[in-house]
Amino acid sequence: MRTTTKQKIAFSVLFLSTLMVILPVVFVLGTIIKNGWQGISWEFLTSMPRDGMRQGGIYPAIVGTVYLVSLSIVFSLPIGVMAAIYLNEYARDNLLTRLIRLAIVNLAGVSSVVYGLFGLALFVTFMKFGVSILSGALTLAIMNLPVIITASRESLANVPYQFREVSLSLGLSRWQTIRHSVLPFAIPGILTGAILSLARAAGETAPILFTVAAFYLPKLPASIFDQAMALPYHLYIISTQIPNIAVKTRYATAMVLVGISFTMNIFAVIIRSRLRKKKKW
Amino acid sequence: MSKIITNNLSLWYGGFQALKKINLAFQEKRITSIIGPSGCGKSTLLRVFNRMNDLIDGVRIEGEVLIDSADILDGDFSDLVKLRKKVGMVFQRPNPFPLSVYENIIFGLKVHHLVEKSEREQIVRESLESVMLWNDLKDKLHRNALGLSLEQKQRLCIARAIAVEPDILLMDEPCSALDPQATLKIEGLMQRLKNDYTIVIVTHNMQQAARASDDAGFMLLGELIEFDRTVEMFTAPKDKRTEDYITGRYG
Repeated sequence: MRTTTKQKIAFSVLFLSTLMVILPVVFVLGTIIKNGWQGISWEFLTSMPRDGMRQGGIYPAIVGTVYLVSLSIVFSLPIGVMAAIYLNEYARDNLLTRLIRLAIVNLAGVSSVVYGLFGLALFVTFMKFGVSILSGALTLAIMNLPVIITASRESLANVPYQFREVSLSLGLSRWQTIRHSVLPFAIPGILTGAILSLARAAGETAPILFTVAAFYLPKLPASIFDQAMALPYHLYIISTQIPNIAVKTRYATAMVLVGISFTMNIFAVIIRSRLRKKKKW
Repeated sequence: MSKIITNNLSLWYGGFQALKKINLAFQEKRITSIIGPSGCGKSTLLRVFNRMNDLIDGVRIEGEVLIDSADILDGDFSDLVKLRKKVGMVFQRPNPFPLSVYENIIFGLKVHHLVEKSEREQIVRESLESVMLWNDLKDKLHRNALGLSLEQKQRLCIARAIAVEPDILLMDEPCSALDPQATLKIEGLMQRLKNDYTIVIVTHNMQQAARASDDAGFMLLGELIEFDRTVEMFTAPKDKRTEDYITGRYG
């Protein structure tokens, strides 16, 4: 076979594989939007469900998801970033740190329903937070920790070693070096990782199933010790538990959920490119 | 007067001995060059003086290093911050932070809270003047330093080290990333700076050592072979190995 023919075949195979990645995304989004856009309205987004959730809106589920995601980042971001700093800047390469690294990689692979059960055992039952936003957010936070740690470590490791050397040679202590010469340059990557992990948290059902999610609540949650409705669980309910619900309502709910993740991802991209422009090397 | 004195200084990276009983005295307000082939330990020696080797795992140091008569290797000597303020360093590759010229210079001062905000302008100006960059950059103080030429970057790095007001400047092959013309300019700058600073420069460029330094040391495989006035060493080396190296017959 001639080289040019081989070249063409290789090119086509690679191109088709790439296409295979895009196609499902296009189909999923296409189906959701086609079936759901008629269900989207201001009222749908901002009113309480009525008539056994067949009518009205999904406002409490949106609010619940926003609460959960915001509270979970409050826990996971500081802990994750600090752990990443320790692992990347301070920890020596010994058996303990290697075990920790292995644990982090494995935690990232644990199925989310296991996190849900763990949250139920630890936060709901043992620590007596009950089925509440706090329990759910903590569970999501723990699920997100490995992702945040890994992303933060990577962006810390990407800051050139020279920055640390110069900084120390100017008489900065190790902590000052991290604080002034490493962290500022790693922040775009850290934020991107955090936002992407949040987008994932927003869409997870299993971790909130036993820890926070309510089938239906007539009121919005008043504190973090209340139960809340959440979008992914709500979607699950209206798709499987409630007969005679309009197809467009289901798809519109899915569209809102996907829309939230999508917006967050876009947001992450914008933040990263903004900060990169200011502080790249 | 001797600014830095080493007594039987030895250093190991794990099992490998990189410095073997080095005895040296660096004179105040002079330029001392350390020459030798790659891997001879000259950069390692330089990095003992501001204890940058502490960063590397498995480093063991024996002997004494006296800076202004204080042993910086002593177990009781723990004030690395103070030491590194006193001993500034210029690296091989010009490495300004991806910040503005102004921020680069005040970087150390800002963290140390050494000066009032109102004095910063003055210090930026003085530092840039002492590396002869002020005229070129006075209108570009808030531009990103990464946009400068290599030579300007290296000058800026020197200015950044100077701004912390050290006594000693360690230069680790400061010109190896620069073209010959820029190299000459940096050497000229060094002559100016030696009025105020004790300079130790590590270089594998023998012409540079001959041109720019007052004293010179030749190292080979972790040993100090010869130390003398530069003129002496380059005209009448006492050791055969030094002669071979500076005449290019080494290896």
